[in-house]
Amino acid sequence: MRLRQTLRIARWEVTKGASSLDRRTALALVVSLLVLGAVAPMVASQGATPNDGLYRVGVTQDSQYYGPVREERSLRAVDPTAGTRVCRDVELLVDGPRVTYCDTEKGRAALAALRSAVRAYNDQLMAKEPDQAAAFPVRVSLEYVEQAGPSAQVGGSSDAATGGSASSTAGSGGNASGTGDGAGGDGGSGTAADGAQASGASGPLPATGGLFGSEGQTGSPAAITPPFPLQSLLLAFAFLLPLNVVTQAYGSSVIDERIDRRGELLLVSPASTGDVVAGKTLPYLLGTLLVVAGVAAVMGGGPVTVLAIAPVAVLFLATSFVAGMFARSFKELTFVTVTGSVLIMTYAFVPAIFTNVHPIAAISPLSLVVKDLTGAPIGAGEFAVATLPMTLAAGVLFALGTGVYREEDMFAQRSPPAKAVDALAAHLRRPRDAALWSALFIPFVLVAELLAIALLFVLPVAVSLPLLLAVVAVVEELAKSLHVYAGFARGRFDTRLRPALLVGAFSGVGFFVGEKLGLVVQLVGLPNLELGRAAFSTSTASTPVVAATLLLAPLALHVVTASISAYGARLSRRHYLAALLVAAGVHFAYNLTVVTTLV
Amino acid sequence: MLAILIQLFVAAFSSFLVVGLVTMYSPGAAAGAVTIDVGVTGNASPSLAPVVDDGPRHAVRFDDRQAAMQAFRRGQVDAVLDATRYPDGHVFVRATAPDGEFRTTIVVVQLKQALTSYERLERQQLSTRLTHKPIHVPGDVPSSTYFGFTYAVLVPMLAFLPVFISGSIAADSLTEEIDRGTLELLRTTPLSLPEILDGKALTMVALAPAQTGLWLALLSLNGVTVARPLLILVVVAALGTVVVAAAAFVALAVGERRDAQLLYSFGVLALFAAATLLPENPANAVAKLAVGSATTGTWALVAASVGLAVVAYASVREVVGRMTPAG
Repeated sequence: MRLRQTLRIARWEVTKGASSLDRRTALALVVSLLVLGAVAPMVASQGATPNDGLYRVGVTQDSQYYGPVREERSLRAVDPTAGTRVCRDVELLVDGPRVTYCDTEKGRAALAALRSAVRAYNDQLMAKEPDQAAAFPVRVSLEYVEQAGPSAQVGGSSDAATGGSASSTAGSGGNASGTGDGAGGDGGSGTAADGAQASGASGPLPATGGLFGSEGQTGSPAAITPPFPLQSLLLAFAFLLPLNVVTQAYGSSVIDERIDRRGELLLVSPASTGDVVAGKTLPYLLGTLLVVAGVAAVMGGGPVTVLAIAPVAVLFLATSFVAGMFARSFKELTFVTVTGSVLIMTYAFVPAIFTNVHPIAAISPLSLVVKDLTGAPIGAGEFAVATLPMTLAAGVLFALGTGVYREEDMFAQRSPPAKAVDALAAHLRRPRDAALWSALFIPFVLVAELLAIALLFVLPVAVSLPLLLAVVAVVEELAKSLHVYAGFARGRFDTRLRPALLVGAFSGVGFFVGEKLGLVVQLVGLPNLELGRAAFSTSTASTPVVAATLLLAPLALHVVTASISAYGARLSRRHYLAALLVAAGVHFAYNLTVVTTLV
Repeated sequence: MLAILIQLFVAAFSSFLVVGLVTMYSPGAAAGAVTIDVGVTGNASPSLAPVVDDGPRHAVRFDDRQAAMQAFRRGQVDAVLDATRYPDGHVFVRATAPDGEFRTTIVVVQLKQALTSYERLERQQLSTRLTHKPIHVPGDVPSSTYFGFTYAVLVPMLAFLPVFISGSIAADSLTEEIDRGTLELLRTTPLSLPEILDGKALTMVALAPAQTGLWLALLSLNGVTVARPLLILVVVAALGTVVVAAAAFVALAVGERRDAQLLYSFGVLALFAAATLLPENPANAVAKLAVGSATTGTWALVAASVGLAVVAYASVREVVGRMTPAG
């Protein structure tokens, strides 16, 4: 890759983008941005209250409940007449001290809203009392203290040695609702501080701080604000939504090259494909980094925040690059990009939900951001665990896209799946490449499995556990065989039986090694996590024979199943799918055995 | 089809998140409610402990703070309340909760519930010293914590997401024709530009209410009954028409997909943000229609959006008839 070529292409890309934007469009864009900028503060100050006036309350103006109803936005006061009926005209009817409610979901929800409105109103009333000791007889100061906790209960019983795969996921699925506790304490102190800020700003009793000093969370019980458990969700939106704008433009630019053979010129130029792709990407990469830095500055984050989010931004670009290369039309591009961005958001915040329930939370870059925002120290290992998988995944996607950045794919109208097969096949030359790509798929496998946990987590364990194991089996088998199939389908591999089985074995070994490498990274990076302890204890507590079996059994499994699917893949697509099902079945049976015997 | 799948995914995912979130705020809503152990100590503990016990909590009395904190550190209790009564009658509670994200929230929610009840109790006993009596809080009935969310957030979101996507697809499909030069080809046929627009836009306009309708059907299968589904569909169709007309205009005027999409996204965002400033905003109107608390303002909004749709589409058609598309 030559720097000068890359830079020149980058410059073209910028000038092309700037010149296509005519003055009228730019003006319209500025106007809509201005409107947005002007309206946003007003909307923010008014508060987004989609539940305005949801429940109707029949209450006369002289009733003591009239005040609370007026204050609560989701309640709407209706002047009751003799004909006013509960359920038909109103959800709640106030008659003197009595409140009648309609016995439906809606009526009960309305009553709950009234209850909280009355409490808030009482607090306001009491704040005006001269005798504050009687008005607020209970003062609370809340502090957060690290707890050693019953650590042995989490994940320890399951075979955590397989890292992100079968049994550890199963373990977390089973345990998550029960006794989640970990020494990781991601952002714990941060949430405490946040809670204090929130209560200081929005608590119903601004005056109470005076009595016991305003530091920490001190005041009436009503002023206690439980820590918001999903800050990472907000962070994900704050960072990733603006990025969409840049990636949309990037995807457009990529697909543009493919329409009317416009990219031909760059392809025939002396610049290599790598140069072209790097050059086209560079301006957008800088753009995304600027956006990230901007958002980080607004949120009060430092360079660590930018560095933590940078891999996410790169992954975003990588997805939209692949989308631009695969899509046949703009519509398809939009769909593929949206799917990609949803998946990335998922990857970024789903693990963060599992903080303290499962150590997997450490792989979310958002947990780094939370720490940086709250000033907690971040170890180098932790940083690596959170950023490496995404960087790796972005690299894989760019490699895939670059693989089809060539004449026969760029200008051909082939379906995205066929393009994907091409892209995979482009990187396969020798049987051992199968091992490499199996390992490279591991970040994606992790995402898919996490997603499965997230979605199945609400079901009862009896249903969710087998389902989860089945999903895990299918996902892992796919990861081990997709590229193998691509290699056979595009004639990269020898389709005779023995070479084919060799490719399968390579794929299985590659997956196994990748999985173990991932585990090593976790152990080195996060020595204090439960997973690490559990993994060590299972391998030291038992005899060497058992330990060796525990280590070798997954290896044997991966090799066998990958060979099964390779056996089918060499013949045809239908054979491949059938073999894949068999392989997944074997994998599922293995997982089930492991989970039922070890748990 | 793909659009529907993606939306299904997004919605399923967001509802999962929110169910999780709401569950954390009211742990009682979770099946098999979590019971927490609270260490209680200090000279006010005789009055505090019964209040703590009244709920999914278990009070454990300790003689002094040290013993309680020791038990806390060992994980034997989930929280510690150290309550001291002062001569003027008020009680100071030093609360200790575990540090950590997920469980902290559950514990703190429980502590807050216990302490609020305790405050109410204490206030009653000191009520002779108050000039105003606090209003009696109506009795508690079990209610779904998701109710407000479902109608006020989920339903409007499911109604407006298809609208936004329809406009985006309309812009995509027109800029693609321009970019590939096929629009010129279409214009050589007897079709006029407004007629081409009709063909392209009406499909998209129809898609939005179709998707929303499917959503509402799915919701009703889930036991969420929507009071006025047809009116919601009318609002969606009307707003869809406005947005698609705007998108088509932008696409034909700009020509380039990237710029058109950018302008369209920001334009629609600005439009939507501005609409929330109306006395009756569209999201709230849909929520009220869904829950069955429509007001005159809601009816006015439905009528206004239909009117706006007719005007917007007619004027875009008029303008398009006189323009030569960019590109």
